[in-house]
Amino acid sequence: MKKILILIIFASTLLSLNACKKFSEGETNDEELITTLQLNFTIPGSSSTQSFKFEDLDGPGGNAPVIEPIVLAAGTTYDVSLEVWNKAANPPENITTEIEEENASHRFYYSPSVGSNIVVSNLNNDDNAVPLGTTSTWQVGTASTGNISITLRHYPGTPPDKQISDPVNSPKSGTDIEVTFNYTIQ
Amino acid sequence: MKALLFALLLLISYTGFSQQCNITLQGHIEDPDTREMLSAATVLILELNKQVTTDARGNFEFKDLCPGNYSLQISHTGCKTIIEKISLTKSRHIDVDMPHEKNTLTEVTISSNKGNKNTGTKKELSGKELEKTKGQSLAEALSRLNGVTLLQAGSTVSKPVIHGLHGSRILTINNDVRQEGQQWGNEHAPEIDPFIAGKLEVIKGVDELKYGSDAIGGVILVEPRPLLNHAGYRAEINTGYFTNNRQWIASAMYEAQPEKLHEFSFRIQGTYKRGANARTAHYRLNNTGSEEKNFSLAAGWKKHSFATELFYSFFDTRLGIFEGAHIGNRTYFDSAIANNRPDPVFTGENTYQIGRPYQKVQHHLLKSKTSYKSGKNKFALQLSLQKNYREEFDIVRNSNNYKPQHNLAITTLSQELSWEHKQNAQLTHLIAANTMQQDNRYAGRYFIPAYRAYYFGGYYIGKYSKNKWELQAGARYDNKNIYTNRILQSGEVFDEYGFNFSTFATSANASFKIMQGLKTNINIGLSSRAPQANELLSNGIHHGTSTFEVGNIHLKTEKAVNINWGAAWNIASGKLSAELNLYRNQIDNFIYQQPIANEPVQTISGIYLLNIYQQNNVRLQGIDFSATWWPFEKLDWQLNYSMLRAKNIDSSDWLIRMPADRIGNMLSYHFKDEKKWNGSYITFEYNYVFKQTRTPDETFVKHDYKAAPNAYGLINVDAGTTIQIQNVPVSISLGIRNLLNKAYRDYLNSMRYFADETGRNFQLRLKIPFQSKQIKE
Repeated sequence: MKKILILIIFASTLLSLNACKKFSEGETNDEELITTLQLNFTIPGSSSTQSFKFEDLDGPGGNAPVIEPIVLAAGTTYDVSLEVWNKAANPPENITTEIEEENASHRFYYSPSVGSNIVVSNLNNDDNAVPLGTTSTWQVGTASTGNISITLRHYPGTPPDKQISDPVNSPKSGTDIEVTFNYTIQ
Repeated sequence: MKALLFALLLLISYTGFSQQCNITLQGHIEDPDTREMLSAATVLILELNKQVTTDARGNFEFKDLCPGNYSLQISHTGCKTIIEKISLTKSRHIDVDMPHEKNTLTEVTISSNKGNKNTGTKKELSGKELEKTKGQSLAEALSRLNGVTLLQAGSTVSKPVIHGLHGSRILTINNDVRQEGQQWGNEHAPEIDPFIAGKLEVIKGVDELKYGSDAIGGVILVEPRPLLNHAGYRAEINTGYFTNNRQWIASAMYEAQPEKLHEFSFRIQGTYKRGANARTAHYRLNNTGSEEKNFSLAAGWKKHSFATELFYSFFDTRLGIFEGAHIGNRTYFDSAIANNRPDPVFTGENTYQIGRPYQKVQHHLLKSKTSYKSGKNKFALQLSLQKNYREEFDIVRNSNNYKPQHNLAITTLSQELSWEHKQNAQLTHLIAANTMQQDNRYAGRYFIPAYRAYYFGGYYIGKYSKNKWELQAGARYDNKNIYTNRILQSGEVFDEYGFNFSTFATSANASFKIMQGLKTNINIGLSSRAPQANELLSNGIHHGTSTFEVGNIHLKTEKAVNINWGAAWNIASGKLSAELNLYRNQIDNFIYQQPIANEPVQTISGIYLLNIYQQNNVRLQGIDFSATWWPFEKLDWQLNYSMLRAKNIDSSDWLIRMPADRIGNMLSYHFKDEKKWNGSYITFEYNYVFKQTRTPDETFVKHDYKAAPNAYGLINVDAGTTIQIQNVPVSISLGIRNLLNKAYRDYLNSMRYFADETGRNFQLRLKIPFQSKQIKE
């Protein structure tokens, strides 16, 4: 009978051990989260910079993202650089650095709407001389409105096998960012 | 090679039998109440330690016996083991009646006395039929039962569907414990090693009340074999190799009861399984490998009227997810599903390696059950602890990131105290109270909140049987309190919700024996299910379907009225048996996901289709029919048919994702037992699944991404035998799934948007049992 008692006590202790642990909150820590895509426009030779951003501080869902319309001067050529952030992290995390470190597996695509007066060229290259696109040159024509899509594609393969000819919807890569900005040229 | 094997067998067969011993003992075993012919019953001649198993028609045969007096020990799952003394002077035939036990309501797994649990609708997979499924997942094994189908997310993840219902509307009971894992979505398969089971059962009826008031779709029982109840040991090695995905599997079991300690009995069991990428008829799918590591321990102590048992099991799996089905936003999803075949980037690799995206799931179960019998009363206390860890590894930007992006841990404790009272030979009462505590945490991407839930409840079941009648009835009440919280992305704001749900269930069952061999049964049940955490509070992107899922905190409790009528008929000559089951399940406030086509969700990674949870009144009704015909002694033909009609009553439209009608045909030939070969069989199966034409109307709202796939028919072949090698009955079987290597897609597999189902698969299995020489009763 003693043995039995010991067995029961053993079993119930084992089962109750876990009940004493403290209740901790869920921890939302999505390190893959991107909240912000910012475009910085500079006119070569000038020191002033104009910035426009897509920002969704609470991540997908919840509050709608803020998309700032891009306003540019007609007949101007801009140097454009991109910044990618996770501002939900504390301190905010600069994802641009991460993309530049793994430049061979990332690529930005710029697609102005049909009939647009913007020509994007001169994308910077990765270590294998394939476009990366964190910096580019925008030639802006006469006054008009339209939109431009910016897509960040990511190659998960090892090696990434990123080729110059890969289209934006290449099955080799997946989408990290796909946002559309409205623009006004005035 | 064949000649060598034959010579070897010939050699073995000629050792150890003398000329004058040529008596043949034949016998037939059946259940006297149902006239069910008991297949897979073991018959052991204690004096000779010779053992055979009954065939599909309950027949057995011993050859080359010497004259003398023998004791036959006959055992069968669900029956009390019996010993028959016989005297042999010449060849003879005996008939053995083995009644299924009826007079107990609960049982401790340690004892061999399994009670007849439920007289409602019951479907069971055991013996040879269960062995044919070894190496497959729990859900795949269950889908051999008529009325049970599969809900899949690719070739590695499958969930059982009973009469169109799945997920939390079905309770899975693993060794008497209600499985509490992460059942939040269609990609979450039950975390159970099917090798633990000696028997798989699907029940509907009064016994559902033992496990919860929320068994709207039914209950799945995963039941291990009882521990040894006599001194000695038994061991079993199972191995298998599947050619399609080069999957191999090894499982071993050892159980014993010490000679000097008859009160004690234990078992240890383990399984390892690994598969490479699966192949469809025309191409191989990258990253569809899987790995599984499971083990379990059981120990029991039984003396006089006291019995206690301790059980622990560990389940660990890693499942690759087909990358071609892990698409980003709508733009790419639409173009991916428009293709008939996945892009070559996603096919053609033949490797065991699993890369991102993949899932890693672990489940621990610790259970203790103690019972005490005193006269007409039996008291039992069951305690259990479950821990479930689920990690999801997505494709990540940074190649140095080895962390999971989604991490869930759920801990469940439960306690149950029950009292069974046998008032007289006809009437038994069972009353029980239970409590459960649950804690859920998460890290990484948000999907469901952290929560704590407290449950309490109780039930009463009464069972009465007299003459041709069996009447059962019961009621159950449950209360569930959920406290949730979630830190929002910005870091400081809290989302906090509390919920309280009371649910009630009741069920009544009447069973009547119209005449010898003909029985009818009717069951009426009311069950209710409280909304789950994911239905209330989920909020996030679902990669497999490019949707954004949002929960609804205003959801009400689902209430179902379920009517089941069945009849079973066994013709006296034993040449024909048939079973018919009609059901109607009316569910008020049925919770489901509705796509909202005109409100796309804008995120930084593109546009997603919004899916919200909503409720409607629905009705599911259908028929399951099966019949077996033995035109000749050695040949039988089994026919299965199941049909389901599921409608949303409010919108008078069909419900989405419901199994299509299907017909199954199985033709088996059982070979005559030879000296060293027995239980040889060959089975041809032709299973036909109709096209699901009853899908929601797409005129105003988009419900589905692709039209339902076409009908398909598959041919499967199984053959097996048991060879006596040095008195060890070694079982070998070969199964061929999808013999014609047909390319097809199934309506209930979310992979159908992207790729075909698995192609031809040869499955080779080997079972070697060992047991101690002197098994005494």
